[in-house]
Amino acid sequence: MDWSLLQLPLWIIAGGVSFYFSLGNARVWTSIAVGFFLILIGEILPAAFSFLPGMDMPEVRALASIVGTISILVMSHGFQEYYVFSRTLELEGNKALVYIATVAVIFSSAVFILINPSPTAETLKVIKIVENTNWVFLSLINIDLIRKIYLNIKDSPISKGFGAFMAVFFFIFLWRGSDLYIQVYDLVNLQDAYPFRYHLSEFCSNIGNVLAGLSVAGTFLYLAKLLR
Amino acid sequence: MILLPRGNAVREKVDPGKINLPDALGKLQKSQFTGYLRFDTVKGTGIVIFTAGKLISALFEEGNDQLIAYDAIARIFEVSLQGQANLDIYKLSGDLAISIHALLHGKVLYKGQELKLIDIKALLGKLKEDKMSGCLRIYTDDKIALIFYRDGNPLGFFHDGSTDIETRADESMSVARLPGAKVDVLSSGGADAINLADLMASADLSALWRKAQEIVIKQRKSLSEAESRDRQVLENDRRVRVQLMLRATAEAHIGKIGTSLVEKEYEKYFPEGKPLDEAVFNKLLDHLGNAAKMVAGGTTIKKMIDDMRKGFRNLLKES
Repeated sequence: MDWSLLQLPLWIIAGGVSFYFSLGNARVWTSIAVGFFLILIGEILPAAFSFLPGMDMPEVRALASIVGTISILVMSHGFQEYYVFSRTLELEGNKALVYIATVAVIFSSAVFILINPSPTAETLKVIKIVENTNWVFLSLINIDLIRKIYLNIKDSPISKGFGAFMAVFFFIFLWRGSDLYIQVYDLVNLQDAYPFRYHLSEFCSNIGNVLAGLSVAGTFLYLAKLLR
Repeated sequence: MILLPRGNAVREKVDPGKINLPDALGKLQKSQFTGYLRFDTVKGTGIVIFTAGKLISALFEEGNDQLIAYDAIARIFEVSLQGQANLDIYKLSGDLAISIHALLHGKVLYKGQELKLIDIKALLGKLKEDKMSGCLRIYTDDKIALIFYRDGNPLGFFHDGSTDIETRADESMSVARLPGAKVDVLSSGGADAINLADLMASADLSALWRKAQEIVIKQRKSLSEAESRDRQVLENDRRVRVQLMLRATAEAHIGKIGTSLVEKEYEKYFPEGKPLDEAVFNKLLDHLGNAAKMVAGGTTIKKMIDDMRKGFRNLLKES
């Protein structure tokens, strides 16, 4: 079964909804929504390799993984800002700066890749592991952070939206954690020796990816309804 | 209330708080003035009597209390400076001025007797028999006449507009005939026979004036401080009520975080001592609305802000 046929459309919807959400709401939502939108970029690039000539370059693969890493960093930063707001009620910064800073970091990463030797398969594997490691640990940290935000604002109109975000990060943890497990133990090459572990991890990764895409789109639609 | 007929008016309805009273009294002294000054104030009535430029008598009646001489002058200065006082100056003959003095410092034998209820002939006979010196004061709400007696014999009459003791009884009798006329019987107690000293010659009225000024300044200061304290208490009470209203409204619309947002914005826009102001309040609401976007949608926020604005106006109307 080709999971990407289901995953990709879901991430296109989730990315579109989150980017649209980032435009019309308070500044702190920009980081969170842009972070989720970048998942789409990180997912679309590898999927496009088989369709678009010239896309299957190691540099493009490296950039896709880096954008994925930037994605979780940006959204984690957004949740941290929200947590700070829920504790101090202080708001600062502006939307344009978030967009510009994100584009600048992606641009700098692209320059970094271009000025270095073309990534080998081993390098790409390391970059992918770094990406998944960031996702796994920051997902756990974000679940805890969102729990604290929820407690701070629990009787406000938007509080249930944060409950939904906890579910999102649980699915992301499932998806990225399974991926990381496969990569760290090199289960792709050891699947004959450990078929159950490999297939279970593969299934968890795919189902986690689908549920993450679904829950991201659903959460932002739900938030948009709550913030109407 | 000291009831005296108005003599020949020199000045009427002067605000004594706006003139330098020691200077004014000095001018009366220099001009050899004979007559009396009447100070009607919210605290009581003061009478200052001059004969030939000598300030022979001062009286201030405040409720049931009477101050005389320097105490009276000091009090007259003080209440005049406090404002809402009226000064009338009437010219009299020397005899009349002394008679008025004797009358003010004498004894009230009978007070407020209804003329129609008493046997006036018997009363006059009694005065003659007792060889009383003093006067009968016959008055209605707006007219007064005095009939002076010495050793039981009538000396003459004094009524509104006259400057001397008159021998014609017409005006005085016309007062007696008015409905509701009353009579007081006053004994001079020999005060008219005493050689009277000039109070201005034996005291520095300017010093009394300065002291009165100091007292009034102190009173005004403490009054203004008390008023300011009252205002502050009222303002603080209003501040607390507005803050409670905002907190309750915010909590109802956006939950507990709303109360924290209100407290933060309220401290910023209305720190301790800053009076409530609608323009500043609207700025507070704008800022609060922006912060509330973090936890609620536009419709909820608009409803919350509208309720807060309504509540604020109601509280302003109440206080």
